[in-house]
Amino acid sequence: MQSRRHFLRGAGTLTAAVAAATVSKVAMAALPEPVSQASPNTMPPLLPRTGRPYNPVVTLNGWTLPWRMNNGVKEFHLVAEPVEREMAPGFKAHLWGYNGQSPGPTIEVVEGDRVRVFVTNRLPEHTSVHWHGQRLPNGMDGVSGLTQKSIQPGKTYVYEFVARRPGTFMYHPHADEMTQMAMGMMGFWVTHPKTRHPLIEEVDRDFCFLLNAYDIDPGSYTPKIMTMLDFNLWSWNSRIFPGIDTLNVRQNDKVRIRVGNLTMTNHPIHLHGHEFTVTGTDGGPTPTGSRWPEVTADIGVGQMRQIEFLADEEGDWAIHCHKSHHTMNAMGHEVPTMIGVDHRGIAKQITQLVPDYMVMGERGMADMGEMEMPIPDNTARMMTGQGPFGGVEMGGMFSVLKVRKNQKPGDYKDPGWFKHPQGTVAFEYNGALAKPARFQSKGGQTMPRAQPDSPPVEVKVRKPVGHADH
Amino acid sequence: MSAVHSTLRSTRSLAISGLAVVLLAGCASFSQDGGFNSVATTARERLKKEVMWSRSDADQDTIAQRVAELLSKPLSVDAAVQLALLNNRGLQAAFADLAISESDLVQAGRLPNPRFAMLRGSQSGPDGREYSIEQAITFNLFSLVTMPQVSAIERRRFEQTQRMVSLEMLRLASETRKTYYTALAAEQSVRYALQVRRAAEASAELARRMAQVGNFNKLQQAREQGFYADAALGSARAEQASVASREQLTRLLGLWGQQAQFTLPERLPDLPQAPNELPNVEQMAMTQRLDVQAIRLQTEALANNLGLTKTTRFINVLEFGPTRMLEGKADAGYKKGYEVSFELPLFDWGTAKVAKAEALYMQSLNIAAQTAINARSEVREAYQGYRSSYDIARHYRDEIMPIKNRISEENQLRYNGMLIGVFDLLADARAQVASVNSTIEALRDFWIAEADLEMALIGKPKLNPPTRSMAASNAD
Repeated sequence: MQSRRHFLRGAGTLTAAVAAATVSKVAMAALPEPVSQASPNTMPPLLPRTGRPYNPVVTLNGWTLPWRMNNGVKEFHLVAEPVEREMAPGFKAHLWGYNGQSPGPTIEVVEGDRVRVFVTNRLPEHTSVHWHGQRLPNGMDGVSGLTQKSIQPGKTYVYEFVARRPGTFMYHPHADEMTQMAMGMMGFWVTHPKTRHPLIEEVDRDFCFLLNAYDIDPGSYTPKIMTMLDFNLWSWNSRIFPGIDTLNVRQNDKVRIRVGNLTMTNHPIHLHGHEFTVTGTDGGPTPTGSRWPEVTADIGVGQMRQIEFLADEEGDWAIHCHKSHHTMNAMGHEVPTMIGVDHRGIAKQITQLVPDYMVMGERGMADMGEMEMPIPDNTARMMTGQGPFGGVEMGGMFSVLKVRKNQKPGDYKDPGWFKHPQGTVAFEYNGALAKPARFQSKGGQTMPRAQPDSPPVEVKVRKPVGHADH
Repeated sequence: MSAVHSTLRSTRSLAISGLAVVLLAGCASFSQDGGFNSVATTARERLKKEVMWSRSDADQDTIAQRVAELLSKPLSVDAAVQLALLNNRGLQAAFADLAISESDLVQAGRLPNPRFAMLRGSQSGPDGREYSIEQAITFNLFSLVTMPQVSAIERRRFEQTQRMVSLEMLRLASETRKTYYTALAAEQSVRYALQVRRAAEASAELARRMAQVGNFNKLQQAREQGFYADAALGSARAEQASVASREQLTRLLGLWGQQAQFTLPERLPDLPQAPNELPNVEQMAMTQRLDVQAIRLQTEALANNLGLTKTTRFINVLEFGPTRMLEGKADAGYKKGYEVSFELPLFDWGTAKVAKAEALYMQSLNIAAQTAINARSEVREAYQGYRSSYDIARHYRDEIMPIKNRISEENQLRYNGMLIGVFDLLADARAQVASVNSTIEALRDFWIAEADLEMALIGKPKLNPPTRSMAASNAD
């Protein structure tokens, strides 16, 4: 099931959090009210009502943190706390995050803003916040032990610095980092340019998401924080397809997508139907001379990329990580390959002992998407998501860029499936098939073999015969 | 076969000799039932079963008919015990002890036969032939004195024999009960072992086909083949255990030929809702146990023996009877008189006999005390064994099996989600069956413990030390 976006209006969706018992009310009185977000849906852009104007971003399945102006200083209040994040409809994870969600809210400021961020720790252990990519005084860099004392549970610390350069940044803890990042502590930071910048173009739509990965055993809720590489959930903003919202744009919109990678591997993010250029990294906007057209941008660990393109092709275009396992949800990495294995006679024998046994994987893993058999509680199906033509057979880091002629400016609503013009959809060929001409030459041998070949393994591929045997 | 025949023969010859005694005695006081009633009563009261003493062809026919009837459907434990009581030839042989003991009793109640002695001497004398003839008919008077005591002793011994035979019967019942549960559980385990084997066979075959199309390497294939080899061994062992316990049961039931094809139910009876509470189990054992009663009677008998030996220590034989004698010529006429003969305790004062009787008595006292101590301990042990085996069986039923089932269900869900493969599913099924086996064994152990407790309350039980079964340790 494709989840539907529910667009709610502005600040009304932001619910005031209950002040934590661990934090003194007197102390809190001087702070900006902490705002918490209960919904995992994509919130509309937060238009600036105070401070310098800017063109806001849309955080995929996320939101932007409101602020207050205090004597010309932009004050934000981040609350580090355990959260329950819906990673997909019917699948929830117990994570750590900020202000009710993981990742935390996006912080948007303008170049030259003086920013004061109050960080209250409601985690069971100390924390700190590192402002990834920012120019700031060393003591504000947020590396506990090195540049500051760690923020103990119940304590509130203040970070204050000037957002000196425009660009795309992240924030995340730099205290017990391994645990806290694995638990989902991270957020986006966008510094908009104060005036027109020669290397930063104005865009119509500006999306952002963080790449994150979790290892949550099927049927459980809490990520295994010791996992180093063998993650089973690859997510954008802690959402997995089909739980990720689509990126809805108007035809000929200039679109920017900002992606940050806080997983432990690189992700080649691939967009269908368009070419884009990488216009910025966490180091800032790239010089125009270094830009080249791409359809895939590899985002290294701890890096950020801004890609920009003109959405001039109508349709529903896939955007996904090109590592094929990253477009799957939880699956058994030790499951043997069953392709081509003849199960005749055996399945019946097995059902004597395992009554509910069904042959799967004999023809490939697509069985998984087709069959709706019960699976452990709180587990997202490995490959699912129904498109207009059938199963999309995707999970994890996969979404759709929807380009429509009639999408109104500023409207981020899902327009539904694309209606293809007559004759523009691949179709079935019903004519006769000629026998293929096979290449006959044996070719030359580069080097003589010392040992004779072992007898060839018999290749058995089940020809498509429908699925009457299920 | 030959054992059965010789038993038959001995029974018959005993019956004949018994008959001879009766004819000779004339006034014989053999009982109607030959002491069997008390055994039958014990069977009825303690076991709710009937026993028959096969002493004629008609009896044998009745028994054969009942046996056929009992064998016509799957044997319940009660039917098995009933069958053993009717059909076990060892028990029939024990019944013969009753007849032997009763013969002794009857013998003890008889007057000894009078003794006739005659002396004849002759010599050719001057007046013709001279004779010396003495004729005496004497009777052992002392036996008259001792007869009531000897009869009492023999009566006690007869009663003791009845108890011993009853005990033998109870032991057979208990043994049958235990062997029945063992055989039944073994048959159940064989069925499960076959299931495991089939699953292992499936995985080995699947692995072979996986290797055939190149999805498995030789190591992976060999591993699955190894599981199959182990499973085949497991099912062979289960089969072996089942045959052994079934044959043991067949022996106890006294079956052979076609009869040995008897069928047992599919599964062991369910665990009762709650175990029996027996707070005064020791006291029950003291009043009920036949071995305690038997040793008490034996001790009493020995005390009487001792008393008798003490009173008769000087007298070996005292004989009295009329005598007549003739001396001289044949027409000299008989002189009449009587003869008393009496052995003088000149060399043997009977002290050794008394000492032996005393020692026997003291020995018996101590044996009786030890028997009582053992009985109390045995019944405590049996009761504890019964309670703990109940708890273990219930733990398997209420805790372990539900958990194993839940694990299997969860594994099935994981298989559905392609989170685990079919080989994991099969491995889990194998583990699951091992715990099913342990559950069967725990239930079997409970029923055996129950049989032991029943036996401990009425006689000496044959308690087994608690052992961890193979399957249970495998399941861990």
